[in-house]
Amino acid sequence: MDENTSRRKIGTTVTTKQYIVVNIGSERYGIDITYIDNIVRMQKITRVPKAQDYFKGVINLRGEVVPVMSVRVRMGLAPDEYTNTSRIIIIKLEQQGSIGLIVDEVQEVVTLDLNEIDRISRDNTSTESFINGIGKHEGQLISLLELQSVVAEKAVQ
Amino acid sequence: MDVSQYLEIFLDETKEHLQSLNENLLVIEKEPENKDTINEIFRAAHSLKGMAGTMGFKRMQRLTHDMENIFSEIRNDKMTVTADLIDVLFQCLDALEGYLDIIQSTANEGENDNEAIINRLNEILQAGTAGGPAPAAAPAEAAPASAEAAAPAGGGSADQEKFRNIELTEEQKKAVLKADEGGLNLYGLSVYINTSCLLKAARAFLVLKAMEDFGEILVTNPSNQDLEDEKFDFDFSLYVMSSEPLDKLIEAAKGISEIENVVGAKVAPGELDKKPEAAAAPKEEAPKEEEKAEVAAPAPAAAPAAPAAPKAKAASEAPAQTANKPVVSRTVRVDIEKLDDLMNQVSELIIAKNSLVSISSTEENSAAQNQTFHEQIEYLERITTSLHESVMKVRMVPIESVVNRFPRMIRDLSKKLNKKMELYMSGEDTELDRTVIDEIGDPLMHLLRNSADHGLESAEIRKERGKPEVGSIWLTAYQEGNSVIIEVKDDGNGIDVEKVKQKGIERGIITPEQADNMSSKEIIDLLFLPSFSMAKQISDISGRGVGLDVVKSKIESLSGEVEVKSTQGEGSKFTIRLPLTLAIIQALMVEIGNEKYAISLGSIQTIEDVAYDDIKYVEAKEVINLRGTVIPLIRMDEILEVEPREEKPESLTVVIVKKGDRFAGLIIDNLMGQQEIVIKSLGKYIENNKVISGATILGDGEVALILDVNALI
Repeated sequence: MDENTSRRKIGTTVTTKQYIVVNIGSERYGIDITYIDNIVRMQKITRVPKAQDYFKGVINLRGEVVPVMSVRVRMGLAPDEYTNTSRIIIIKLEQQGSIGLIVDEVQEVVTLDLNEIDRISRDNTSTESFINGIGKHEGQLISLLELQSVVAEKAVQ
Repeated sequence: MDVSQYLEIFLDETKEHLQSLNENLLVIEKEPENKDTINEIFRAAHSLKGMAGTMGFKRMQRLTHDMENIFSEIRNDKMTVTADLIDVLFQCLDALEGYLDIIQSTANEGENDNEAIINRLNEILQAGTAGGPAPAAAPAEAAPASAEAAAPAGGGSADQEKFRNIELTEEQKKAVLKADEGGLNLYGLSVYINTSCLLKAARAFLVLKAMEDFGEILVTNPSNQDLEDEKFDFDFSLYVMSSEPLDKLIEAAKGISEIENVVGAKVAPGELDKKPEAAAAPKEEAPKEEEKAEVAAPAPAAAPAAPAAPKAKAASEAPAQTANKPVVSRTVRVDIEKLDDLMNQVSELIIAKNSLVSISSTEENSAAQNQTFHEQIEYLERITTSLHESVMKVRMVPIESVVNRFPRMIRDLSKKLNKKMELYMSGEDTELDRTVIDEIGDPLMHLLRNSADHGLESAEIRKERGKPEVGSIWLTAYQEGNSVIIEVKDDGNGIDVEKVKQKGIERGIITPEQADNMSSKEIIDLLFLPSFSMAKQISDISGRGVGLDVVKSKIESLSGEVEVKSTQGEGSKFTIRLPLTLAIIQALMVEIGNEKYAISLGSIQTIEDVAYDDIKYVEAKEVINLRGTVIPLIRMDEILEVEPREEKPESLTVVIVKKGDRFAGLIIDNLMGQQEIVIKSLGKYIENNKVISGATILGDGEVALILDVNALI
């Protein structure tokens, strides 16, 4: 009996997923909430010479040095303009340590039902894709970021 | 019995014994007649056996037992040391180390019986003593004899219950009666300490402490004070009141190392009065007889030829219990003086804190108060610096713990390669951080093997070349400034530059044109590239193509560096340079453009003001001539792609840095001062072409990057 209810509970968590919706450029992106460690305001970023162009540098996050990446540059968009709404989203992917993503604005947390998400099959490997699906929420489209490929190093040509 | 809590001590002590066995066997190999060493070997083997037995590691115990037989025969001049024997004994030590490794990771000794080695041992024993007197004929019989000789405790059990001679005072008897009513049992125990034990008082203390865990110690004989002052022979007796069963107490006492035997019995309060009779004729009472049988049974365990039933039971239970326990934690032995220092500094820290508190609580805000405030801050700074030093010192371990296994390795290599060689070590007391010590063993081993395998020539060739037949390998460690240098040097063939060049071209690492322009040093550096193995054929000693590049990457991961110097025909020298400490360094903070960077103070030679006129050009590169040395200049703003400053200063500020014997001058914009910084990693995501070795967080929370001087030069 108890087992049944708990199983059902687990069942329900699988059918929905929570995303934080952010603005990058003119698009709305969703970041899987389970990977998010923290959201901090823009702060002084120390440039790291000779780093990849999309790495803006490192910040001090409560005594830890965390690299910060510009998602705009990573996606080939116009460089960031830091405004009052700019935020750094600290994500943590397993053991690989933290990394910060600069976004233009953090909007809301949405819960998407799995049938509201269209998975994108990533068969055309020729172009790098940072998106693994499109979510539909209240009539709007949210591009769901594939964090692994955002964070991964550019393929060596 | 749960012995897991002694596992750490057991591992530590066993390692020490094995090391001393290794060293002493090497001595014996050279001087087979050295009696002192043989005695020492015997003692080490004996304690090893005892400890393994106590911990319930039966296979280990069996192997050491057979080894001990051999040593015993040698000691009694019934056998002679042969090269063959030494080889087998070394194999035994390896097998024991194997057990130890398994124990360390699983708290269990594993399933390997090492039958082959044991059989070899017994064969040798039989062959060696065949013509000898009768008692040594059967090895199984030789064992109890030798064990008894070593352990005077092996006598009859009636003599052993010395606790029966203790006389209790009236008050104590009353306490006993009261306790008896309260359901506590009174036990008499006699503890026998190994006769080779050096710290009897400490062992006695441990026993008493263990007993206190079970109940109350009523009285000891000799008195507590005498035990502390080591005023006793190798045994002492005590009465304990406890609610635990007797077996448990005995096992706990036996679990302490160097305790030869423990006998005990439950004593009814009534028995105390007729004590003398009980000691004289203990067989009178039937129930006591039973108890005694139980007590006497563990006694022969000291003579391990016949482990008695209860003992065996304990042995089989112990591993089962400990198997589930987490793997042994790692420990460092710390000199008590270092801890005292640490304690002193912490006390000072508290004083400083209190003064600061009192300053902040006083109302007035005068200049005088301000001054004391600053004084206290300075004081605090001094304390934290020395506290840091002390903590680092606690982490420091002499390199000896790593290098002391090398003589044995060189001996084995010498046999395997059929080359004569000798290892000379110096500076074993040089200290390094614990983390470095743990990692440095493998690279050093690689280098030594390299020297032995590729470096040294065979005896014939050495003779031809007019070198002494026995090749020499030197392992030298010493401290230089903020780093520790370890050198591995041999007087062998040296590195054949031409051959390396050929190989490099063959492997497609360099083109022939490139090769022509490379200095021999650059060519030798090729050896450190991955998959570059010089061995003409793959041997199991070195030359799997994972040699020097692994050495290099390992040492670099410890933020050290490795360098080779080689003269063909005369030998080669590998120099490893390691930082003393890893996490915190003294650094010079500088400004380049508008950015702040840290340069490790250890690599800075001097700081110079250089006028523009002093800059000369060599091959279109900027250099300065500083007191006779030509030093290339590096414009840091260009390297780091910093926006240059608008105004040009009247002269350049140049930080002269050194790496090995090379210098470079870093042109910076502004000096900010010296600071102690904590090194943080940049993480694995960010690339930086190695100009940056890490980052640190400054007092204002800003992140500053640490320049990797080694990569710049």
